[in-house]
Amino acid sequence: MKKIAIIEDEPAIRENYTEMLSAQGYQVTGYANRSSAEAAFKNVLPDLAIVDIGLGNEIDGGFLLCQTLRSLSKTLPIIFLTARDSEIDTVCGLRMGADDYLTKDISLAHLAARIGALFRRMEALKQPADENALITRGPLTLDTQRMQVFWQQLLVDLTVTEFWMLHSLAQRPGHVKSRNELMSDAKIYVDDSTITSHVKRIRKKFIALDSNFDCIDTVYGMGYRWEQI
Amino acid sequence: MLRFGLRSKFILLSCFLFLLPWLGYEYVWEMEKFLRQGQEKTLVGTTRALATALHERPALFDQQTSFLDQVVKGRDLYAYNLKNPIQLDGKLTDWESYQALFWQYDKRYLQKTDNKHQASDLSFEHMVGKFDNYLYALFKVTDNQLVYRPKNSLSITNNDHLKIGLKTPDGQFNRYIIAPRQDGWVNAFNADSKAPFTKIQGYFSSTAAGYNIELRFPISMLGNKLGFAIVDVDNKESLFEPKVMSTSNLNNPSDLGSVLVPSPEINRILKGMGHSGSRIWVVDKHHRVLAQSGSIHHADGVWADGLANQAPETWWQQFEQNYLHPLYYKILTRPENEFLDTLHDVAAMQGSHLAKALKGQPASSWRLTPDSKAVILSAAYPIWIQEKVIGAVIAEETTNGVRTLRNKSLEKLFNVILAVMLIGTVTLFFFASRISSRIRRLRDTAEQAIDAQGRVTGSINYSDANDEIGDLSRSFANIVSRLGGYTNYLENMSSRLSHELRTPVAVVRSSLENLQMQPQSELSQKYLDRASEGVERLGKIITTMSEATRLEQSIQSNEPEPFDLQKVINGCMQGYQLTYPKQLFTLDICQTALPMQGAPEFIAQLLDKLINNAIEFSHAEKPINVSLKQNDSVAVLTVGNYGPLLPAGLTEHIFDSMVSVRSQQMQQQPHLGLGLYIVRLVCDYHNASVTAKNNQQDNGVVFTVSLPLVK
Repeated sequence: MKKIAIIEDEPAIRENYTEMLSAQGYQVTGYANRSSAEAAFKNVLPDLAIVDIGLGNEIDGGFLLCQTLRSLSKTLPIIFLTARDSEIDTVCGLRMGADDYLTKDISLAHLAARIGALFRRMEALKQPADENALITRGPLTLDTQRMQVFWQQLLVDLTVTEFWMLHSLAQRPGHVKSRNELMSDAKIYVDDSTITSHVKRIRKKFIALDSNFDCIDTVYGMGYRWEQI
Repeated sequence: MLRFGLRSKFILLSCFLFLLPWLGYEYVWEMEKFLRQGQEKTLVGTTRALATALHERPALFDQQTSFLDQVVKGRDLYAYNLKNPIQLDGKLTDWESYQALFWQYDKRYLQKTDNKHQASDLSFEHMVGKFDNYLYALFKVTDNQLVYRPKNSLSITNNDHLKIGLKTPDGQFNRYIIAPRQDGWVNAFNADSKAPFTKIQGYFSSTAAGYNIELRFPISMLGNKLGFAIVDVDNKESLFEPKVMSTSNLNNPSDLGSVLVPSPEINRILKGMGHSGSRIWVVDKHHRVLAQSGSIHHADGVWADGLANQAPETWWQQFEQNYLHPLYYKILTRPENEFLDTLHDVAAMQGSHLAKALKGQPASSWRLTPDSKAVILSAAYPIWIQEKVIGAVIAEETTNGVRTLRNKSLEKLFNVILAVMLIGTVTLFFFASRISSRIRRLRDTAEQAIDAQGRVTGSINYSDANDEIGDLSRSFANIVSRLGGYTNYLENMSSRLSHELRTPVAVVRSSLENLQMQPQSELSQKYLDRASEGVERLGKIITTMSEATRLEQSIQSNEPEPFDLQKVINGCMQGYQLTYPKQLFTLDICQTALPMQGAPEFIAQLLDKLINNAIEFSHAEKPINVSLKQNDSVAVLTVGNYGPLLPAGLTEHIFDSMVSVRSQQMQQQPHLGLGLYIVRLVCDYHNASVTAKNNQQDNGVVFTVSLPLVK
């Protein structure tokens, strides 16, 4: 049974999530603050951590906890689930090595799907790559099973949300995906500018590997499309 | 309205500096008054010194005339000091300079009153003068009928003749007659003995109107009485009694007029005083001048000594003389050495000071010369002999010395005042300029700190100056920063709210979702669905609320890039036509490239919001007009729709955060008035301006965005 730790200071949410995830067959432990969580993690690490940023009196308690977890394990999947949706917080959270950054708008079903995806990715990483699960678009290779993206054989470090957005675009190259479509494909509900900044972040990650990258095209007023080289 | 700036007020105030010269002038004027008083005292001192030398010296004064009760002009003669020798030639050229001193004898001086007498019958002008040791007399006789003494005639009186009566110093009364036979040299005859008397010499010459007689005799034979008579005989047969016109009655020695000869003794004493720098007179008690020395034109007292104009040496002195003095002497008057002097060569002095002195009181008086060019100060001091005033010493000086002194000090004063005024005005001006420029700067920054919509656009750079303006700027900065904080608080309200609401919404949502996992009755499922729908809507509101904040954040981190505005707008419009297939658009978009610097996604978002807004307010079946035009270096994008007009007074504020002007029917969808706020944010990022106006037909609204292009 997968062990999930939920670190959340709001008891109602914590318990709801715990119950929901328990119903899905996970072994879920809730922690109300950073110190209790850290104490528990010293003994045994969970398989996945869902962390709120503001923890009790600590405004950035989640970030600190994330750092601690990353120091304990390089591979432990961490999801930030928070009310804070500012660009800075998002960037901060992802920089600290979180695998995803979600706002509390997300429905339980979506959250469960995301958790499932992360576990799948963890599982898939342990197994040899399945050729059938690969989508290849020129220099771009998408491993849908491991949820990994390669550009010219180099791994592009995308979050789960970003992966799904890119997946949505690359699945049908040349077709315009509107922001709403991208949102539903990525299983998030956010506003337009969040989509814009997500796309920008994806572009940046590609450009970091290849300064000539120009495959994600903005179609003004409509959305984005994958431009096949 | 007339508006006085600080600077002009300061200049006005500094005009009070111009009081300085007036004060200085008053001061110098006072000083001059004191100097004048000093000069007066000095002058009185001078006269007293001289009078002291003359007290109790009766020998210097002629007893008899001096003790006369009165002297009569015309009868009592005065021998003027002649400055030049007189040539006895019957011509008046030698006397020309004394013309003014001639005394006119007319019918009043006839021995017998004759009312029918004409001036042309007989009248004469006469004066006596003294030169060297001789007494000179001149007669310019008007006589219509000149009768010479006949040749071989023993009588010397049956013709026109001149009678002279005098008393010798030893009191003897002598009379002489001059009766010429022809023009030329004449000698006198003793009137009694008819013997020629050669000590009296003269020259007779006839003129067109009558004749002239010049004569002289040694002063030693003259006592203090002298008289002349012109006897006019018109007919040799002496049918008529000859007319006699005389200075005094020659028939009676006691009626004889007096003669005053300026005293050489006193003159000698006076000469000693001649270096005092004043003109000095000694007069007898009949105001007649006994002696005189000095010239008033050089009598300016001792005040101006050493103040004489020197040639300018330094550049400052040259500057002073060339530029400042002409200026000063527009106000000041330079004392002039050329002025009219009425007392030049007078025989009798007048004046209150003299009258007072002759009563025994030293006195002084001021008078202006007739041409008003100089002021003359006169002082008189009585001369006493045996408790009686026998005469007076008069000293005269011009005030030129004092005035020169005053002018010199005024010059210096003006220099100082000019410097003070110049420095003061310049200092004040700079002070005022500095203050007003600081205040203006403060005003400008204060105005710039808050824009037309009342938003705080920046902070005020306050000054560190430790004065009121510094205080003011600091308090302005304080106010603006507080106001900015408050505005910021208001603008962040939506993001704060969305953040705060998200957690409770998450609680509700997760609870509902959990609940939905349980088997539900049909009824509770219905309520559950409704609740979910409500939470969904709440979630949407929260998302919209955070949109503006997110845009602000991404604007802050966005790097501007070059793009073609026309392409973006065109692309967007194609998208809208797909997205809103039922909506009619009329497009007027220029097809030339419009290069811009910025973020195309933001522009797309801006257009998104404008189109959304237009569609929402548009009447059904009416098109939405979108146009894009280039106007010089500005691209003008307009989005117009037909529908309700803008509410008056809210035009500026519809671009503010959380302002919505939707009517109640339109409120089916949640609206927070953030769409146009986002438009404004994007405009601000691109240095663009956006305005909303009712269209010209007043049946719709036009939004106009002016976006600066890259040249």
